[in-house]
Amino acid sequence: MEDTGKKRFAAAGIVAAGIVYFLACATPLPKELVLVPSWARSLAQAPSAPGAREAAGALAPIPFRLGDRYGYFTQDGTVLFSAAQSYGVALAEDAFAPYERLSEGFSILSPEGQVQAKAAIVGYPFFAAGRRFVIAPDQASVSELASSGQATWTYHFPSIVTTFDASPSVAAFGLVDGGIVGLDKAGKAVLDFAPGGSRIAGVYGVAISPDGQLVAAVTGLDKQRLVVMEKRATAYRVAYHRYLSSDFRRVIYMGFTSDGRHLEYESPSGIGVYDRDTRQETIVPVPTGYKLGLTARAGRLLAILSGDGTESRLVCAELPDRRVLDVAFQAKQAFVDTRGDAIFLGADDILERMDLRER
Amino acid sequence: MSRGGSSSGRRSHLSDLAVLTRSRTLRRALASLVAVSALLPAFGWDWPLAPPRVAATFGTFAKGRVITGLALASDESPVRAADDGELSFSAEEGNSPSGLPMALGTFIVLEHPKSMAAAYSHLAPGSASTSLRKVKSGEIIGKSGGSGWIEGNGILFQVLDRRAGTWVNPLLVLPPLEDDKPPVIRSLALSRADKVFVVGSSPSIPQGTYVISADVTEPVDSAWPSVPLAPFGIRLSIDGVEAARDSFDVARCSGGKIIFFGRPGVDADELRTKEGRYALAERLFTRGRTAIEVGVEDERGNKRASTWTFVVE
Repeated sequence: MEDTGKKRFAAAGIVAAGIVYFLACATPLPKELVLVPSWARSLAQAPSAPGAREAAGALAPIPFRLGDRYGYFTQDGTVLFSAAQSYGVALAEDAFAPYERLSEGFSILSPEGQVQAKAAIVGYPFFAAGRRFVIAPDQASVSELASSGQATWTYHFPSIVTTFDASPSVAAFGLVDGGIVGLDKAGKAVLDFAPGGSRIAGVYGVAISPDGQLVAAVTGLDKQRLVVMEKRATAYRVAYHRYLSSDFRRVIYMGFTSDGRHLEYESPSGIGVYDRDTRQETIVPVPTGYKLGLTARAGRLLAILSGDGTESRLVCAELPDRRVLDVAFQAKQAFVDTRGDAIFLGADDILERMDLRER
Repeated sequence: MSRGGSSSGRRSHLSDLAVLTRSRTLRRALASLVAVSALLPAFGWDWPLAPPRVAATFGTFAKGRVITGLALASDESPVRAADDGELSFSAEEGNSPSGLPMALGTFIVLEHPKSMAAAYSHLAPGSASTSLRKVKSGEIIGKSGGSGWIEGNGILFQVLDRRAGTWVNPLLVLPPLEDDKPPVIRSLALSRADKVFVVGSSPSIPQGTYVISADVTEPVDSAWPSVPLAPFGIRLSIDGVEAARDSFDVARCSGGKIIFFGRPGVDADELRTKEGRYALAERLFTRGRTAIEVGVEDERGNKRASTWTFVVE
């Protein structure tokens, strides 16, 4: 009798614990996310030069680059133009600058084709964070241009510049010799650091948060290393570092999300995501055997485009690591960008918008 | 210029210069040059392109930049590793994932022994052997092709001393060229504000402080667009007293500027006047007769000197 009572008591306890668990700890199943096509446009029908169409509405047009073609489109599906580049083009939301191989100057134009400035400087332009830069033919000197097109400063680096990222306040450059140099708006070095710990020094990726407070880099060979530096008072200090299993000997994809919370970087198994707040890392797996092509990181979506020359693959993930889409499609040239929950995908001569919806 | 010869003549020539020099700064600079030169047998490097046709020398100013390497002219030839090495970086012409345009076009960087690295730039697009890891001296690593910002067909070959953090004149580590032509001195000029006096074209100059500059060049047989090529060394004497000496042996960067060791504290942007002459020194000239001698030499020790005498009023 006594044993039977104990068993009943234990069974009641288990049932009660189960009820408490389901009430206190249960979480709803995540809703299914689907991509809903919005519009598709053929680039063959778009004007081949700027000026024929103007962007309507308050939203800035989005630049695209598909193989040797580039141009702008609006979120509602108006393709402003799709031009062939003769050698290269610097592209940003608010301006573009086509240039020749032996460029000794170039015009900076608005997406509508109005000349904003003319720059008489030898080298190739590149734009980021609303700033205009020019890299010299030696790839070891960089100038920043004022809105007039005049160089405001020129900085000679001790070795070849491999990679770069910019925030409105600081531009960070990675060098062949393993140095990371951060320059402020006046071209003054606010960061000059060479992470050690590897047999061969080198910088293969660099990223700076939009507020300029964090600079991250993938550096060195044997072993390769992720280093995150944080600005404390006036100087940058190492806030996080980890040896990686990668052995990249080329520039990798690396960047912070627009809110600055997450750092994404290319790794052999996908996209590594570092959370600035928790200092934790996760991986968004990307199918192996594909060459990573482009990542877009606006809003809550991380869109990763990869391809092998004939087939492309789009992987979308909600940060930090929830994969919501994995689709392969036939395209030699592909492009991806995101704005909020909208994904803009380019495949050869087609541009398409898809919207992320919960179901 | 063509391949061949030995480096012993160059070293003894530099040693002679060190003994003869009275200035302590110049003695130090020359001593370091002799030290670099003495290391030469330790480098068993070979030319990355054969036969080597020098199109631009270390220290040459071209299109607003100073060349910190050696441009070699070639038409679609195999590019070979100058020494045993290991691939540490490769890039393909166009925009990199970071958005940075590759002005060096398709290029690779090899780590060579003794903490030296070499960049082989402007290779033919798609020709760089990026899958290589370890390479042997003489192994083909790509094809010359003129990708990126380069005026002629060929490659740019740069040598980086990782330990010292300096660019090294590749002629110091490569087999010597067979070259018996001394550099050319074309003119001497004195300038102040926007006034330029080419010495010899006017019988006298007003007294005052002038920047002394010389138009010198290294003769080469390349078909590239002509820019005056830097010689290996330039020397300036005023009334028999040495006033300046620039040696294009190594260059380093400090504070965002390129500095050539030959003249400490003078960055490369200040080494050239806007007319394209090498700015050698700034001096006050008072009334009387003055003699200025400019001497130039190449890395093989071929020398030339010219003297101008003029009246200061």
